[in-house]
Amino acid sequence: MRRYLTPLLFLSPATLLILLFFFTPVVATILLSFTDLSTTTFKNPSWVGLRNYQDLLADPFLKKIFFNTVKYVALTLTFNVGMGLLLALLTSLVPQRIGDPARALWLLPRILPPVVYVFIWQGILAEAPMGLVSDILGVSKNWLVAAPWTVVILANGFVGASFGMLIFTSAIRAISRELFYAAAVDGATTWQTIRRVVLPMLAWPILFVTAYQTLSLLTSFEYILLLTDGGPGFYTTEVWSLRAYHLALSNYFGNVEFGLGAAMAAVLVVIGVVVSLFYLKIFNFKALVSEPKIEIN
Amino acid sequence: MKRGIPVRLEGLSKRFGKVEAVKELDLTIEAGELVAFLGPSGCGKTTTLLMIAGIYRPTTGAVYFGDRRVDHLHPKDRDVGMVFQSYALYPHLNLFENIAFPLRLKRVPDGEVRDRVQKTADLLGIGHILERKPAQVSGGQQQRAALARALVKEPQVLLLDEPLSNLDAQIRLSARAEIRRLQRDLGVTAILVTHDQAEALAMADRVAVFSMGELQQYATPEVLYHRPKNTFVAGFVGSPPMNLIEGEFTGDGFRAGELRIPIPGAPTGKGWLGVRPEHLSLGETGHPARVLVVEPLGREVLVVVAVGEVRLQLLLPEGEKPAIDREVQLVFPTRELHFFNAEGRRIGPE
Amino acid sequence: MPILPRNWPLWLLVLALITLPIGVGLLWLLLTALFDQVHGLRPVGAFSPENWRFLFEGSVGGRPSIWVALKNSVFFATAVAGLEVLIASMAAYAISRMKFPFRTPYLGMILVLHAFPAVSLLIAIYYILRVLGLFDTLIGVILVKASLELPLGIWLMKGFFDQLSWDMEMAALVDGASRWTVFWKVALPLVRPGILALGTFALLSAWGEFILPFTFIVSGKSWTLALYMQSFMREAFVDYGLMAAVGLFYATPVLLLFLLGQRYLLNIYSGGVKG
Repeated sequence: MRRYLTPLLFLSPATLLILLFFFTPVVATILLSFTDLSTTTFKNPSWVGLRNYQDLLADPFLKKIFFNTVKYVALTLTFNVGMGLLLALLTSLVPQRIGDPARALWLLPRILPPVVYVFIWQGILAEAPMGLVSDILGVSKNWLVAAPWTVVILANGFVGASFGMLIFTSAIRAISRELFYAAAVDGATTWQTIRRVVLPMLAWPILFVTAYQTLSLLTSFEYILLLTDGGPGFYTTEVWSLRAYHLALSNYFGNVEFGLGAAMAAVLVVIGVVVSLFYLKIFNFKALVSEPKIEIN
Repeated sequence: MKRGIPVRLEGLSKRFGKVEAVKELDLTIEAGELVAFLGPSGCGKTTTLLMIAGIYRPTTGAVYFGDRRVDHLHPKDRDVGMVFQSYALYPHLNLFENIAFPLRLKRVPDGEVRDRVQKTADLLGIGHILERKPAQVSGGQQQRAALARALVKEPQVLLLDEPLSNLDAQIRLSARAEIRRLQRDLGVTAILVTHDQAEALAMADRVAVFSMGELQQYATPEVLYHRPKNTFVAGFVGSPPMNLIEGEFTGDGFRAGELRIPIPGAPTGKGWLGVRPEHLSLGETGHPARVLVVEPLGREVLVVVAVGEVRLQLLLPEGEKPAIDREVQLVFPTRELHFFNAEGRRIGPE
Repeated sequence: MPILPRNWPLWLLVLALITLPIGVGLLWLLLTALFDQVHGLRPVGAFSPENWRFLFEGSVGGRPSIWVALKNSVFFATAVAGLEVLIASMAAYAISRMKFPFRTPYLGMILVLHAFPAVSLLIAIYYILRVLGLFDTLIGVILVKASLELPLGIWLMKGFFDQLSWDMEMAALVDGASRWTVFWKVALPLVRPGILALGTFALLSAWGEFILPFTFIVSGKSWTLALYMQSFMREAFVDYGLMAAVGLFYATPVLLLFLLGQRYLLNIYSGGVKG
């Protein structure tokens, strides 16, 4: 055992934190979902079995929230992947001294603090005289209230598009120059080159981006929370993960229902565990492991 | 500087999964001796060296430095110096700090570090470029810096893993002589791993020839050349390699296809006849053969001839260069013929 | 692409059009922060220092001073980045360079966690922080933030350690170093690009972090800039000029980094860092 003291030492801080903030929460989410933990019962929650799940299914708004989630994930995903692809292609079709800064500009929505980013959206969409959209269209309205779904998808999409853009760009750069030269010699047009040379090479990256972003969109709610907080009105843009968050952690209604929120989160956690295990399987993990060449520690 | 100590390997084996990289190796290196581990890549020579250094754990067996068993010790507790094929200099440190690294780890006082680094660097002729980073000096200088780093802590054992193979051919010859001279002067026990038989023969007191994880022969260069223990050693040592002809010994001669050579006192049975290219010659009467290839090597000519299906290489003085496709008379020597049995083991005195 | 189409200016036009909203958004932020009144993108009235009063007044509307929030944000971001880089490097070094039982499953676990959406764990983490007594403390949020990004950090750093020469590490061991010394004196200095990449990523990500402090911090004295700014959003009457100024103030480090190191940012974010 002393042989492995050194690796143990190197791994222990990371392992401790991962146990504390990944493994324990996964188990805790599932355990909490079987209790009636709430503000009033925080000190001594009791075991209620599947009641939270029954309540969940009986919730008249569950259907709306479910379809909101599907709509949010499907539309944002489409925008992200489509825009990512479009940006990767466009920035590759112009000289690199323009393409690179353009790509960097598309990183801004991602690296700007979300609060600032969302504030810009809110400001631009506000009523006249501040609101830019109202100013341009000559119709003074709060467009965030008028078209909440469009805004939610666009705001998330402008953040998410850069992920696909970067992955697709690396994939395009990895294509051998000779293929492009050959296509040019064969007299292919730009569109034919994209269609016959580039797109076939992007099949796998597109699958990867789609798979990866489906999972992260399913559980992300930060921008919706800041933009509309599920509104305007009654659950208009409330999605599954936001609903779980509201139930368990927001105190607008005074008494937070931890158990119920945990039940909703547990559904996401289980999906997350299953899907990420599945990724491990398809993205050829073994190829990433090689044996260390030093045997002593 | 202190003298080197003997290194003894006892039943040393190393297995990686199912692959036996080194098999039951027994070997002793005397104090102050330079021994070469020679063999093709993947023969286990570097694995053995890394076990001596302490980077790999032996699967079984023991390593002794003098009377001290060291195979359970961490490399830092073994007192060895090592030079790697890639030199493995630290790119973020200048040459001075590279060479000083082992001393810094031993917490040697600053003043002493300066003196010892400077002394070792001067010895190797790189004392004037110590401020430079490894990337800013030539390959030869990098190699010297790596050697200086290995020597600065005055180790009892010096390990050299293909230290010359990344050098240009010209520098390589002078580096050979220089390493040999240094090693003798310092009296350090040294092990040189190489795949280059000329380098091994030129530098080493004794050579251990490896193949497929097994020690084939451990002897002085002269013995390896004149009395190779088996066909592997015979074919690996010497350049161009020894001709090995598969055939049958008849008690008074050897035959292989059309080739028939009378040899008084020859053994009997199937086996191999070995003859070095430099011991074959052309003459008025001999064995008829046809010239296939003529390759001038400068002072000598390499000639390939065919006797039926059998192909033989000859090394001839420049003046005796034959024309291609000509019929020649091949003369076999009476001495310097090597007999091997069907398993490839030497027949006769070793 | 290796061969530019002859009509590339046309593609450039399309690119410019779809990229326009980002530029316009930033411009709107800048103008609204600087001028008294802005109609759309047309400044009406003069430059307004009034928008920047939060810098000079001790508190705006009963909030803690922005300098307290700034101090908290700086502490939060540097602590997260420092912790993340250090702990991820140590673990990545062991996974990449050392032999120990369950090494492959450990790496597999890191990869699964890298894909796993950690936000779904917030509810349980809330509970855990309460139990540990770390709720409503910056330290608690720092630990959570650093931990949730560890799989990404370990994965990234492992890639950098994988490229180090084995010879060099063997040489250091023979020279008399322990693995610990090799890590500090040889390996870490040589993966500096990785440390810079992960460090920058972690700094940016922690600087902008909203949901974790929002969920786990209540007291004004522990507010970060994200919470400070968000507190204005919740008000019935929105002072756009003031908020834009706060937003610009808050986003300045990010914008500076963007202006100075575009290429560097691109490398970091395309170097396998999670989106």
